[in-house]
Amino acid sequence: MTKPRLGIFSLTGCAGDQLQILNMEDELLNLVARFHIVDFQEGSSHKESGPIDIAFVEGSVSTETDLRHLKEIRERSSVLIAFGNCATDGCVQAMRNGETTLAQRLKDVYGVEPDYYDALESKPIREYVKVDFSIPGCPVEKDEVVKAITSLLHGDSPLGYSYPVCVECKLHEYPCVIVEDNKPCLGPVVRAGCEARCPGLGLDCIGCRGPVEDGSNFAAELQMLLDKGYTEEFIMNRLRIFSGELPEDFLGGAK
Amino acid sequence: MLINILEKENLVEFFEAMQSYGEVVAPVRATDNAHRFQPVKGIDELDLDYTRTMIPPKKYFIQPKETLFTFNKEKEKYLEPPSIDKSMVLLGVHACDINAMNLLARVFMEELPDKYYLERRKNSVIVGVSCTPDEKCFCKSTGTDYAQEGFELFLHDIGDKYLVRVGSLKGHNIVKDHSELFAAPEKGDLDAFKEAEKTRLSSFTIEIEMSGLQDHLDMSYDDPLWAEYAEKCLGCGSCNLVCPRCRCYDVQDYINLDMNTGERVRMWYSCMLKDHGLVAGGHNFRPTSMERLRNRINCKGSLREEMPNCVGCGRCTVFCPADIDFVEILQKVRGDIK
Repeated sequence: MTKPRLGIFSLTGCAGDQLQILNMEDELLNLVARFHIVDFQEGSSHKESGPIDIAFVEGSVSTETDLRHLKEIRERSSVLIAFGNCATDGCVQAMRNGETTLAQRLKDVYGVEPDYYDALESKPIREYVKVDFSIPGCPVEKDEVVKAITSLLHGDSPLGYSYPVCVECKLHEYPCVIVEDNKPCLGPVVRAGCEARCPGLGLDCIGCRGPVEDGSNFAAELQMLLDKGYTEEFIMNRLRIFSGELPEDFLGGAK
Repeated sequence: MLINILEKENLVEFFEAMQSYGEVVAPVRATDNAHRFQPVKGIDELDLDYTRTMIPPKKYFIQPKETLFTFNKEKEKYLEPPSIDKSMVLLGVHACDINAMNLLARVFMEELPDKYYLERRKNSVIVGVSCTPDEKCFCKSTGTDYAQEGFELFLHDIGDKYLVRVGSLKGHNIVKDHSELFAAPEKGDLDAFKEAEKTRLSSFTIEIEMSGLQDHLDMSYDDPLWAEYAEKCLGCGSCNLVCPRCRCYDVQDYINLDMNTGERVRMWYSCMLKDHGLVAGGHNFRPTSMERLRNRINCKGSLREEMPNCVGCGRCTVFCPADIDFVEILQKVRGDIK
């Protein structure tokens, strides 16, 4: 049997998600043995052209170059996976989207008028191409990556986390930092999959895996935290650090 | 004897005797609001005078998340985890939780026998303990404030002694094998028990009228109250996951990168989560949070073995991050409050 052709690509981001793959030391040999790797910048300078069975794309679209690169990857790939929060949600570089224009931000930060940088407003990749599956996280969780890969090798579509961090807090019997300590925890509206690592240490969730898009109620979360005395600015800033470009209907309320 | 007396000064010896039946798990203070059942090595670690744990003791029979078995395709073998036949003593379980487990026992031991649940219950000793209700307890309303079965021994605090009821043959043998720890009750002990029960029963501050509740729920199907609460509900699933009587779970198979070995995992699940009602073909029976919330309250308020699917422990209210009050919803359903 020929091995599936795998490409691992970076757009604008810190490349921490590619690094997570290299960090999968116990699985790495098994992983490279299963695939024909056509592109993996952080692992090797070897690159091949031609079709790709599975493409992992990390980073957000923040330049025209990113956009051309992404469209080319999409054309070459059967399955395209948004890999890490920059790709799935835009992450930190998208947290000011909608507040001021890109031109204004360039001026405020760099003091320049013209667009020297071929910059675009940072967006998650779903804004430009069809995404077959998302693996969120800043960075991604190794265990989730392995599970997604084995599902694909097995011919199944991977299972994501459709439920919030609260579920994992309860499964681990971690005391609720909202109920016990009135902390501004984003756990009720943020994707699980981290095994509630932060609440397990008594820390409130800051949302590094992005929003549960379907089925959570951000309007209620916002109201709950406002009632506890936190400001809307604080809550929105916290949410948008990792959730950058929020899905349109996310802020809308109960669904 | 079905009624015995255990002097509190014999509690250390009693605890040591219980250790001979397996690892003792008991309530230990975890936070301001909650205790936690966990393994204890000595009587000084546990706190029998507690109100509630966040996660109910059912976690020892159907675990929050567990590997049911691992498999090896090539060798056509599967292997169950070794923990399934571990002996255990659950010390200090409240009546509401025992009654909740009595329902789970019907589901997991009789209707659809689950070998994990069966083995673990068979290998365990349950020792109940009496309690004093707080302002969120309403087990008297649900008829689950007193345990008639589903335990080996039940300790009722009557001052400097426990009145110990025997609830099973295993419990009878425990008393017989450690007869030096127990005494026959005297008239004063029985009087003290009756007084303690009176005090307990008069301590409840909230109640729900259960009479005809199912019909009231049916009649409230289109009531705007469901949408009102759904607006406040985070949809986080906490209410189900702390419920001693919820029994929904999800099962997933994971294969390792060798594409040969793997495991089957079961975890508790919640009907408040969106994909609980999702079926093959993409249809969702309860696509909105309003429908999910209404469904949960209807499930809790419906009868099962002549008892509601709720034991009145108050956990879903206490541990709701959005402060949704279960009793308040049912009082609105009945029209007791607006």
